[in-house]
Parts: sequence; C-alpha cells; structure tokens
Amino acid sequence: MARRVLVALVAAACLAAIVGFQSTRVVKAASSPRVFVPSPRFYLDFSPSFRTSIADAYWLYTVQYYGEHLNTDQRFDSLGPMLDLVTSLSPHFRRAYYFGAFALIDARRPDVSYELLKRGYTANPGDWHFPYYLGFFAYTFGPQGAGARAAAAWYSKAAETPGRPDFVPRLAAVLFAKGGEKSKAIAMWASVYTDGDKYSRARAVKEIGKLLPAEKQARMKAVAKLRDLMPPVQFDQLVADLFPGYY
Amino acid sequence: MRRVFAIALNTFKETIRDRILGVIVLFALAMIAGSLWLASISLDEAGRMMKDFGLVAVTLFGLVVAVFVGASLVHKEVEKRTVFVIFSKPVGRAEFLWGKFLGLCATLFVVVAAMGAFLFATTWYVAHAPSASILLAILLIYLQLVVVVAVTMLFATFTSPILASVLGVCVFVAGQLSHNVFSLTKLGHGPLVKVASWVVFYAVPDLSAVDVKASVVGEDVARWSSVAFWSAYLAAYVVLALLVASWAFRRKEF
Repeated sequence: MARRVLVALVAAACLAAIVGFQSTRVVKAASSPRVFVPSPRFYLDFSPSFRTSIADAYWLYTVQYYGEHLNTDQRFDSLGPMLDLVTSLSPHFRRAYYFGAFALIDARRPDVSYELLKRGYTANPGDWHFPYYLGFFAYTFGPQGAGARAAAAWYSKAAETPGRPDFVPRLAAVLFAKGGEKSKAIAMWASVYTDGDKYSRARAVKEIGKLLPAEKQARMKAVAKLRDLMPPVQFDQLVADLFPGYY
Repeated sequence: MRRVFAIALNTFKETIRDRILGVIVLFALAMIAGSLWLASISLDEAGRMMKDFGLVAVTLFGLVVAVFVGASLVHKEVEKRTVFVIFSKPVGRAEFLWGKFLGLCATLFVVVAAMGAFLFATTWYVAHAPSASILLAILLIYLQLVVVVAVTMLFATFTSPILASVLGVCVFVAGQLSHNVFSLTKLGHGPLVKVASWVVFYAVPDLSAVDVKASVVGEDVARWSSVAFWSAYLAAYVVLALLVASWAFRRKEF
C-alpha cells in the first residue's frame, strides 16, 4: 500500500513539474523577427518531390510568424524572404501571393508586395486577381500620377481577363475618370475588402474608415457610391463593419 | 507459379498479423488526422494542406513498412530455420524470394490502401469535394514503395537486415534526386565524375518520375502518358532487381 502511495506521489510530482515547466512558456516573449530562411534553390535541388509540402510547411510558419508579430512588436523582417521561399517552391500557390502582398504593407514594404504580385502574375497569367491587386498597389503606394496611370492599366488588364467578376470593369472606369481622388482611394480599398482574406478585410475597413468624412450622413452617402463597385453581399458586410448596428 | 502464390499468401498472412504494422498504420492515420489541425491554421487552405501533408504521411509511413519489413523478411526465415523446412520441399530459392516479395507487396497494398482511403475521406470532408487525383497519387506512391521493397530485398540477400534497411532508405532518397545526378552527367568535371554519374543515374531508380504530389495540389499538370511510361520503367526495374536478388540468393550459404 505504502509503495503504491509513493508511486502515485512520484507520478503526481512529475506531472506537476511538467505542467509547471510548460506554463512558464506562456509568459515567454515573442520570437525574434529575424529568422533563418533557407534559399529556395536548396529545396528545389534537394527535394523536388516534396517541394510543395515544404512550401506548405513554410506557409503555416509564415502565417504564424505574421500573426505573432502583428500582435507583439510589429516587426516583420523575415516576411519577405519567407514569402519568396513559399512562392518559389510553389509558384501557383495563389493565396500566398494575395496574403503576402497585404501582409508586407505591415512590414512597410509595399514595393516588395508589388514585385511579389508581379511574379505571381507571371506564373498565373489567367488569374484576374493579380492585375486587380497590382492596380490597387500601384494606385495606393505608387508615385502620384504615374501610379494612377499604372493602376488604370492594371485594372484594364484585370477587366479583360476571362472569369473576372462584373464589378472589375466598373472599378476600372472609376479610375479612368478625372478627379475625386478620395473616392478613388475608397473604391480601391473597397476592392480589397471585396476579395481579401480576414487580415486584408480588417485593414480595408480601417483605411476606408479613415478616408470617409466624419459626419455620419456624408459617410453613408460616400459608402453608398460603392454599391455598384462591389457584389451585394460584400457591400452589405462592409456597411455592417463600418456602421455597427446598422442592420 | 502455384508455389510462389502459396508462399506469397503465407507471407501476407504472416506480415499482416504483425502488431508493429498495426501500430504504424495507426500512427499514420493519427498523423493524417493531425493534418486537420494544421489545416485549421492555414488561412483557408485546408484542402491543400490536407492533401499535401496527407500524401507525405502515406509516403513516409509506407516507406517504413517497405524498408523494415522488406529487410527482415528473408532473414527471419533463416534465423528461425524455417527456411530449411521450405527448401526440403520442391521449392526453388527464386520462387521463395518472389513469393516473399509478392506477399509483402500485398500487405503493403492493404496498408497504403487503408491510409489512402482515410486520406481521401478526410480530404473530402475538409474540402467538401472528392479528389480523384489523390487516389492516383496513392497508387503511384505504392509503385514507388514496391520498387523500394524490391531493392531492399536485394540488399537483404547479401547484407544484414539493418544495413539493408539503411540502404533501402538511401535508395529512396537517391531516387528522389535522380535529376541532380543527371545534371552531373552533363556538368560534372572530369571523365571519372561523368562516368560515375552515368553509373549512378542508371543504377538508382528514378522515383521522382512518377511523383504527382505537386499536381494533386494544383501546382503542376500531370502528364499521364508520361506517368504511364515511367511506371513501366519502374516495373522493369523491380523485375531486374528481383532477378539479381534471386541470383544472389541462390549463391547464399546458410
């Protein structure tokens, strides 16, 4: 009996030690924003059969890295190389380009986003999302004047791509119109909201909120103009996000 | 032929009852199910993650079965002295080896089919659509593993089971890198490097030729005519490896 009690006590002590050690990890600081990212060439040469699996493993790591640093130090030093690795190993992994382009805004590298999307477009020329997002980046982060012209060209390309939704040509038309720079910027962010993942949608709501007038009636009027530029479901969601409690 | 099938059936019954096999399959199923968790943190790429990690799990666990069971199959019979009972009957050494090979291939088929069916069902559940390409990829993984079984059995005829297992794994890895060796045949410096590269290139089975994992996740477009051609190449490789193994086994002294 005494032996059993002793065994039970040892087991309980070991269990407590394991839980105790592991619980100290909860208070550990965020990992370094600079991490080692191997060259894509290495994996392409030494594991061609498993290249997509490695790309997927790095994709999970990239999402985790982004989420972790977004909530802590806002530093994304290795995000660019990580996305380069994922998309080099898996050039048709479209979500990696879309997500990466918007995540790189947080790294203050929209220029890298633009290049990433251009590479994505070269690898996936039949996908209208690439010129659509390239237009957005050219307009929002490009040089004044030239950026808008480049954006219009990209949106025209998106509008010509088979399979694009109906609102894309309308968006291109808005960009070609003269004046109303603020409305154009709102329309651009609305386009991101229409087709983005949860991170880029949250960012779009924030940016549109900043661009809209302060007065409620004027805000609603400005948002109403987006009705023709978005699918109805997304428009309703955007209204709900911008005006909580509206519906 | 009847004798070969009798040995194959016996080997199948013997290996399928092995508890370690059950543990490996359970581990593989747990790993495939674990991909569900990975899929949940993939930002709307659950289907892709399931397919990719699931196929890797099937390949690696299948490799464990192929190599470790393949390496010990003949050795076990010799160690238990049951091989003398078998050879006292009108059974040739080559027939014995082919029977063992076919029996293990049948076991491997059951194991890979079980993992493949589970992966197919799980992916269907996650992606809300069945993916027939997974089944084809599983079939080609099975073909690669059959080659590994044949090569491991060849090594097992003249080395210890442990060394045969290690060599079997090495051949699998080398088989995935065959294109690099081919590059060396063109770019290698000096005639010795070039000749050695050509020898390795022809000696090692090009397993990557029938790998369609990338096309299952939409990365490549599989050219099925080419896959059929390379499958025939691997079948020829298996037959040749077993012929050499039979020759070596005939000369082996117990």
